[in-house]
Amino acid sequence: MRGPRERKMVFVWFVSFVVLFMATGNRAQQLPVGHATDFTSNQYFEPPNERLVKMKLSGAEALPLPGGLLDIRQLRVETFALDGQTQVIVRAPQCNYSPFDGVANSAGHMELQSGDGKIHVQGEGFLWRQTSSSLTISNHVHTLIDMPGAMM
Amino acid sequence: MVGVCGLTATQANAQLMRLNLQPAFSTNAPAAKAKAADTKPKPPTEIDSDAADFDLNAHLATYRNHVVVTDPKVRLTCEWMLVTLPSGGEHLSHVVATTNVVVDFTNEQGEKYHVTSAKAVYDYKVVDTLTNETVTFTGSPVVETTNSTIYSEPMVWDRAANKFHFTEPRMISKDTGTNGPAQKLF
Repeated sequence: MRGPRERKMVFVWFVSFVVLFMATGNRAQQLPVGHATDFTSNQYFEPPNERLVKMKLSGAEALPLPGGLLDIRQLRVETFALDGQTQVIVRAPQCNYSPFDGVANSAGHMELQSGDGKIHVQGEGFLWRQTSSSLTISNHVHTLIDMPGAMM
Repeated sequence: MVGVCGLTATQANAQLMRLNLQPAFSTNAPAAKAKAADTKPKPPTEIDSDAADFDLNAHLATYRNHVVVTDPKVRLTCEWMLVTLPSGGEHLSHVVATTNVVVDFTNEQGEKYHVTSAKAVYDYKVVDTLTNETVTFTGSPVVETTNSTIYSEPMVWDRAANKFHFTEPRMISKDTGTNGPAQKLF
């Protein structure tokens, strides 16, 4: 039997967890807290399209790091349009991901591909901001655009 | 008389002949013709740069530092380039290149062109059945050909019609060995 003091502590931890969960806000499926393999986390569109997946983040392995970060191996980020079509696929062998602010970064290799497969980008070192869907590649950016009359 | 960027048809015709470009005066080319050319298999365009930013919501790509665009017929270098990525479209519609812009290309007759400017803007759009595909050079643009060097502000390369439009151009002919200051042509 737990005493009143223990029950109070459990309640405080429960409230803290609920507040923390609600603070994430975007109906994102929770990322693994400890070590995990083959995980997936979905982010959904704002209402009235809250049932449609906006972004799917997956990885082969996630290791917890200090500060609430995750060391993700074989990262794959896939973004979708409202009609369900894939817009962009981002892949990286390794990155550090902060679930709370939705930022991923790595000094290593990364690749981006458009949903129709006509644009391929690769480079070394990147910063991905999930909330703004922005990606910065720091070094050796190489893009292939396979479209008629693609450029000047 | 039909004007081409401030030139009369006769003047422009003479100029275009000097440049060995096709003297076509319509500013638009049939979309069907462009479509036919588009069906040919074509190697992808390559863009290399030191760094890049992608805004996936706005469909924008910004390439920074030592930007090199390599195309089967065109090579472009600059320091900054903004590309509007098509969202489900089949064609890039808008590209802005700035700072030390250098464009080298070879026309269908095998003649080489070397263009330098501070800024170049590529635009592509199809209105009704007409294709408009242009590159507008501003910021002291200069085009060098085998036979001449031409200065014009701005300078418009009409890719659909495969010709240049000049505004108050000045030319130095390499055939006559003229090495003095650029002379006003017209």
